[in-house]
Amino acid sequence: MYGPPGVDVGDTADESVSTGDGSARLSGRAELVPRLLVPIVLVVVMAALAFLLSDNVLLTLQEVLALAVFATATNLLLGQAGLVSFGQAVFYGLGAYTVALGWLHWQLPFWATFVMAPVLGALVAVPIGLVALRARRLYFALSTLAFSELAYQLAESRYDFTKGANGVFGTFVPTSLTFPRTGYLFVLAVTVVSLLLLWKVNHSPFGLVLRAIRENRDRMQALGVNVYLHQLIAFVISGAFCALAGAMFVVFSQSSYPELLDWTTSGEPIFMAVIGGMGTFLGPAVGAFIYQFGHDELVRYVSDWQLVLGAVLLAIVMFWPEGLLGGLGRLGKILRKRGGNR
Amino acid sequence: MDLASFITHLVGALSTASSLFIVAAGLTLVFGALRLINLAHGSFYMYGAFLATSLVAWSAHTGLWIALVASPLLAAGMGVVVEVGVLRRLYAREHLTQLLATFALLLIFADLALRFWGKGVRSVSPPPIVQGNVHLAGAPVPLYDLVIIGAAVIVGASLWLLLSHTTLGWKIRAVVDDPEVLAASGVNVRMLYTGVFALGALLAGLSGVIIAPQQAVEPGMDAQIIVAAFIVAVIGGLGSITGAAIGALVIGIVETVGASWAPSWASTFIYLLMILVLAVRPWGLLGTPER
Repeated sequence: MYGPPGVDVGDTADESVSTGDGSARLSGRAELVPRLLVPIVLVVVMAALAFLLSDNVLLTLQEVLALAVFATATNLLLGQAGLVSFGQAVFYGLGAYTVALGWLHWQLPFWATFVMAPVLGALVAVPIGLVALRARRLYFALSTLAFSELAYQLAESRYDFTKGANGVFGTFVPTSLTFPRTGYLFVLAVTVVSLLLLWKVNHSPFGLVLRAIRENRDRMQALGVNVYLHQLIAFVISGAFCALAGAMFVVFSQSSYPELLDWTTSGEPIFMAVIGGMGTFLGPAVGAFIYQFGHDELVRYVSDWQLVLGAVLLAIVMFWPEGLLGGLGRLGKILRKRGGNR
Repeated sequence: MDLASFITHLVGALSTASSLFIVAAGLTLVFGALRLINLAHGSFYMYGAFLATSLVAWSAHTGLWIALVASPLLAAGMGVVVEVGVLRRLYAREHLTQLLATFALLLIFADLALRFWGKGVRSVSPPPIVQGNVHLAGAPVPLYDLVIIGAAVIVGASLWLLLSHTTLGWKIRAVVDDPEVLAASGVNVRMLYTGVFALGALLAGLSGVIIAPQQAVEPGMDAQIIVAAFIVAVIGGLGSITGAAIGALVIGIVETVGASWAPSWASTFIYLLMILVLAVRPWGLLGTPER
């Protein structure tokens, strides 16, 4: 992704480029049915869970789904464009604050602010992207981190507007969504639509250009591709979906607070993507499940949640850099090859 | 503003700048030689400060003086373990991998610190010799502020001497450009990397002790200082010690002026300033563009 072609990520990158190619060439219903089968079964199972699981688990799942969208949107930059942003929490928090502050100051209905959140996210992403994308690699990571801290400071110090460190609490979520089951189904529906749209972006010619820029920026520039513009568009799309994820999070939390904007919050979706595998599309979402459920289970038994998280992350980064899905994908490939040889 | 209050403010700004400089110098030194952003730098700083509070609790009179040696050594030791155990295996990989590894270390060290020192806020007072105020041109100035400024000058001067007037210094400056040629000319590059990383950690530990009498020592100070150190290093240009000094001065002045004019906006100014610098010169004032 960066500098010299990485030993490990390079491989998954090739894979993702070729699947992007392959999906365009795929034709015939025989190929199409199994491709659609997995996502459809997944969605049906997820929807059925609403009637099987306890309220507590459904509430956790609401948060997990918001984080899954957050992580998948962040991975558009991380895994596809090769841009490490430590500033995606700006948009996540912005989405949450859009709902909360719209209700607090102007009594805007939830549905209106929920739709406004991604629009605002996209609008705010334009100036931030224009500035941050002038820098590259580590400097990009650090300037997005600065934006995250700026947003955090603003939310914390502008007490009259944001209620400062206390955050905004209130009844801005419609009563119908405060029931665990309806809230879960609503968040699930938004998640499915978001992931479909992001999948479209990944598998569009635009997504292919992003990956090509990641692999060889100079060559794409020489080919006449406007690198800056392509990365800016990716940043804006990611910002919009991160803001939507933030608005989804409000359904679960029914509050908005400055920590949502902090740079350590920006680190969370990166964690999730790394755990699940940032070279794959569903990896970050799977990572979100593991991360949040791991967190909820662990804090019950041990106080050192961060210690375990840090150790797991370190182990993955050092020894299993493709993440869970990336590793499984490679395993599947090897098995298939063996089967073919027989 | 009369002369007395100007001097008080100036010393305050210089003391803020000095403590920031010592932290940022270590960060930027490591980046300059290893091209590595160490998010765990704040952990070394925090451990330095925590160890100082423990030593003072053990011996009120001599504790801080012992800490002045012990804390940097502890931090340097942690640095060696981190470099040899983790980072050395990741140099061939991309920047993100190294960044994430140090982020993971930050989390691990933060929880371990909770185990050792608990959640409470700790404080130490400066040694009796450097307590109280002195008067400079009629202005009361905290003596400990002058100590911090003096420490920063010593650290800055030593680093300058090391980097520009010793063989080790030119090796450190050369290794970032071409480690292979350096290795071919008989330099143990692996040792050099470990040494530079340990030196950066040592500076972080040192700054932890020096700052401990002035600030609350508590969990979370690691993530806080790392952001401040980044701002300083990024404004000045990552990898440049002079840049870190300039960045620290700028932040010290902006913070002091901001705190007296518009207290609730002071920290916002700092981030805006950093973003402004990055918008004009994305690689910082004295940095070089990334290739």
